[in-house]
Amino acid sequence: MKTAPPTAAAPAPPPVRFDPLLLCAVLGLVSLGLVMVYSASAVLAQDKLGDSLYFLKRQLSAAGMGLVGMAVMMKLGWRRLARLAYPLLLLAIVLLIAVAIPGIGTTAGGARRWIRLPGFSLQPAEIAKFAWVVYLSYSLAKKREKVATFSIGFLPHLALCGILVLLCMLQPDFGSSVLLVFMLFVLLFAAGTKLSYLVGSVLLALPMAYIAIATSPYRMKRILAFLDPWAHRHDVGYQVAESLMSIGSGGVTGLGLGDGRQKLFFLPEAHTDFIFSILGEETGLIGVGLLVLLYGVVLWRGVRASLAAGETFGTYLGLGITSIIAFQATVNMSVAMGLLPTKGLTLPFVSYGGTSLVVLMGAAGVLLSLSASAQGAVNRPVRTGSDVRGVTA
Amino acid sequence: MRDFKAARAPEPNAKWLKLRVQLLFGLFLTLLGTAFARAVFLQVFEQEKLRGLAQDQYVRQIEIPARRGDIFDRRGTPLAQSVEVDSIWVDPSLLPDVRAASRAMARVLKVDADELFGRLTRAKRFAWVKRQAKPQDVDAIKELGLPGLGFTKEPKRFYPQRELAAHVVGLVGTDGHGLEGLELAFEDELSGQNSRLSGFRDAKGRKLLVQGALDPLERQGASVTLTLDRHLQYVAEKALAKAVEESRAVAGTAVVLDPRTGELLALANNPRFNPNAPEGGDRGAIRNRAALDTFEPGSTMKSFVMAAALDQKLITADSTFFCENGAWPVGRHTINDTHPHGNMNIEGILQVSSNIGTAKVANVLGRERLVAAYHAFGFAERTGLALPGEGRGVIPFPKADVALATQSFGQGMTATAVQVAAGYGALANDGVLMRPYLVSKVVDPDGVVLLENQPTELRRVVSAKTARQVVGMLESVVTKGGTAPRAAMAEYRVAGKTGTAQKADPVARGYSDKRIASFVGVVPAEAPRAVILVVVDEPKTDVYGGLVAAPAFKEIATAAMAHLAVPPSRTVAPPEGVAAAVPLAPPPASKASAKAAPIKAALAEAVTETPEPGTVRVPDVQGQAGRDAVVQLLAAALEPQVLGSGRVVSQTPAAGSMVEKGARVTLELATRQ
Repeated sequence: MKTAPPTAAAPAPPPVRFDPLLLCAVLGLVSLGLVMVYSASAVLAQDKLGDSLYFLKRQLSAAGMGLVGMAVMMKLGWRRLARLAYPLLLLAIVLLIAVAIPGIGTTAGGARRWIRLPGFSLQPAEIAKFAWVVYLSYSLAKKREKVATFSIGFLPHLALCGILVLLCMLQPDFGSSVLLVFMLFVLLFAAGTKLSYLVGSVLLALPMAYIAIATSPYRMKRILAFLDPWAHRHDVGYQVAESLMSIGSGGVTGLGLGDGRQKLFFLPEAHTDFIFSILGEETGLIGVGLLVLLYGVVLWRGVRASLAAGETFGTYLGLGITSIIAFQATVNMSVAMGLLPTKGLTLPFVSYGGTSLVVLMGAAGVLLSLSASAQGAVNRPVRTGSDVRGVTA
Repeated sequence: MRDFKAARAPEPNAKWLKLRVQLLFGLFLTLLGTAFARAVFLQVFEQEKLRGLAQDQYVRQIEIPARRGDIFDRRGTPLAQSVEVDSIWVDPSLLPDVRAASRAMARVLKVDADELFGRLTRAKRFAWVKRQAKPQDVDAIKELGLPGLGFTKEPKRFYPQRELAAHVVGLVGTDGHGLEGLELAFEDELSGQNSRLSGFRDAKGRKLLVQGALDPLERQGASVTLTLDRHLQYVAEKALAKAVEESRAVAGTAVVLDPRTGELLALANNPRFNPNAPEGGDRGAIRNRAALDTFEPGSTMKSFVMAAALDQKLITADSTFFCENGAWPVGRHTINDTHPHGNMNIEGILQVSSNIGTAKVANVLGRERLVAAYHAFGFAERTGLALPGEGRGVIPFPKADVALATQSFGQGMTATAVQVAAGYGALANDGVLMRPYLVSKVVDPDGVVLLENQPTELRRVVSAKTARQVVGMLESVVTKGGTAPRAAMAEYRVAGKTGTAQKADPVARGYSDKRIASFVGVVPAEAPRAVILVVVDEPKTDVYGGLVAAPAFKEIATAAMAHLAVPPSRTVAPPEGVAAAVPLAPPPASKASAKAAPIKAALAEAVTETPEPGTVRVPDVQGQAGRDAVVQLLAAALEPQVLGSGRVVSQTPAAGSMVEKGARVTLELATRQ
């Protein structure tokens, strides 16, 4: 892997300096995740599989693969991703279709989300998120000022997003769908799409979202549970109520690593979607503060690297990746703390989940390679000011 | 595809792009900050509430039942004990096939499979399979290897002496709470404090750990020590059972009381029941008649009438009364004696148990003084034995002349057996009534005495002189001309009184031909150590106390005197002798026993020659059942030590050898080969 053939066209770059702070933050999150995955899953793994280390081992090997992926991305550099935009998107769509086929996709917890391969299982939605950001960044950068137009800049992306969302909802995977839509809006906004289009489509989507929720008892229940988890704590609000109790129990200093009680089968998905609850219980506000700080650093340094990219593609790419991380982290924590209805989004770098971790670490590699860019596109003085404002009108 | 690197086109809206990215950055920071603020709110301000809610679900109070305290006889022999027994339970939700599992378990436990299946399907996460199971059942169930099975130690009540004193001790229900007798009366003390412990559980309801080890003493109930003597209790129950069986009576009661202290040494009832398996017995058999039931005592009351009249100097020992030749009209009624008598002194009236004579003494005494005398002897008031539902008895004021007459011979009033025995105890104790008691001590596991009964003088009822006088007169009862020669003992002076009461017929309103036969004796008469009352309810063969109850009295008294190591009253016994049943111990010249009482050799053997004070001859117990051998040795004031079970195959020292009282005799037992 290390010996990737150097591209002839590549100019010899000055000594590459990756952002050490960003690197530390990502590695810190991954390490924290490994500790928490073990703590949250040991009892469950011992009980169900007879091996308390089962989930830790799998997460460790994923982290190893993620490190390789990160190194490869850092070495390759973000610019090469432009060429991969279409192949990646195609791969994501194929995988999303494949997972919907009963023989290929495996079902767990009422959703068909995984493709079981020898040794590991693949979660196509996690790949789709990354592919979508790469594609959008490439497409928006390519279209440049035409981004502002409805038919070229807005509609095609919206349509493609619709297809991906549709595929995700086949599983169903509401959380990933929301993330895909959110990424579209973030990047369209950054690229300068008219705000009226964005606001308008949100207003249009509201009634549809309402219908989607009201017609699905499963989504309706989630809303009910969100609105008053205590009233539903024995059925639909169970998870959230348990999560709140878990986090609240932690207090400022926490019960101590491994000493949490809620993971003793009270809290379902303690090592995946609700790992934040266990972190809150065992490490308290201090641990939560550290986690938020690490995400804050990733966000800060990610945005900084995006702006330093020197090209719009890089900026979009960096912003998209940073947004995926920040959005998922915020939503996951908010769900665990009862601020948002249950979504099914994992805590990036921390939650158990091989595909997610490998993809996210690869994406972090992209961010790091952005941070190493010599100059920032946005800081560079504008050479030709001819059509700066005209086209946007 | 366009090459980006080559293009490097100027970025037209770079400023705006930077601004918008920074806007988004601000938005994300705000969201992250909001999440953190929420965490602060939950973990600082809501912490207590949420932690409490969480603890409610994973901290479970586990109630650990205290080990129930033991009940001992006066010598520390356990009458009721608690043992830890395995109980089997199951979490039915973990069973793959509840029907197959219940069928398999039912086959092992030999219970109804459908009933078990019903219980397992009704329960969600916990159902008893078998409480207090036998060890082999537990092993067999374990071998089935079913998932979800659990085993818990539960204390089970065990009565090592089986039927012995079962009526007094009572019994507990399957939940371990007292249902009857002292088990019920001392429920609070015996059951102790159940300890509540905080244990963690997981969401599946499994106990995870218990904080801290338990000091077993801390969860043990207090122990109760009784005044009963296991050996005397056994002798009394055996003798009573024989009396009831031989007279084909419906029930019987025997009381042995130490008149000097008021301690009840034995309190026997018949029919008996086995408290280890109470399901089979009917409720009547469980009833502690001696303390609970009242009955019309009959002629045994006459002694109190005489004592009161003598004490108040209304009569003297030499006063004579005309006994009307057996029939004395009082109002519209006629008082009858069993045999016609003419003029008789007080001793004579007691000796033949003349109703007419006693009624005339009662006339001299008067209504108020008669009732007062009965009350003074402790009648119509609860003795306070601490047994639940203890009888009180009633003495209605005798308005009619005939009522005064009948009450003087114990009809038209009721009393409990313990009251009668205690009353005689007052006569035997030089006129001082001691409070009868059954429980000597209640001690909690730390050694703190919760209750201690000491001998308590209730009151002086009559003077010592009067008491001795009456006891002396009562010695005539067991002589040849008295009503109970069968109660006479070879080596001890016996003072006693028979009673043959008519039973009131609740249906016909009057007296039926059913009788309650009783005998109460004081032994030895010159320095009383025991008051023994035997009551036989509805005997069918003979109805007289002197015939039905007196032999049982003698049997108990013989064993009691030996057991209490009471020096004999006399060395020369009545003339008639009988051959000893034991050939290895040839009967010495002085050896004798009452011909009239066909008492089995085993107990009669208790009294042998008295060559030197403090030594006894070892009886031959070869070939006897272990229990009988033990009784015989105890009766001979020897201390048996038993090895093995079954029948006696060897004994050391050998039969016939002279040893000191209280010496140890080792018995080797073996089952029949």
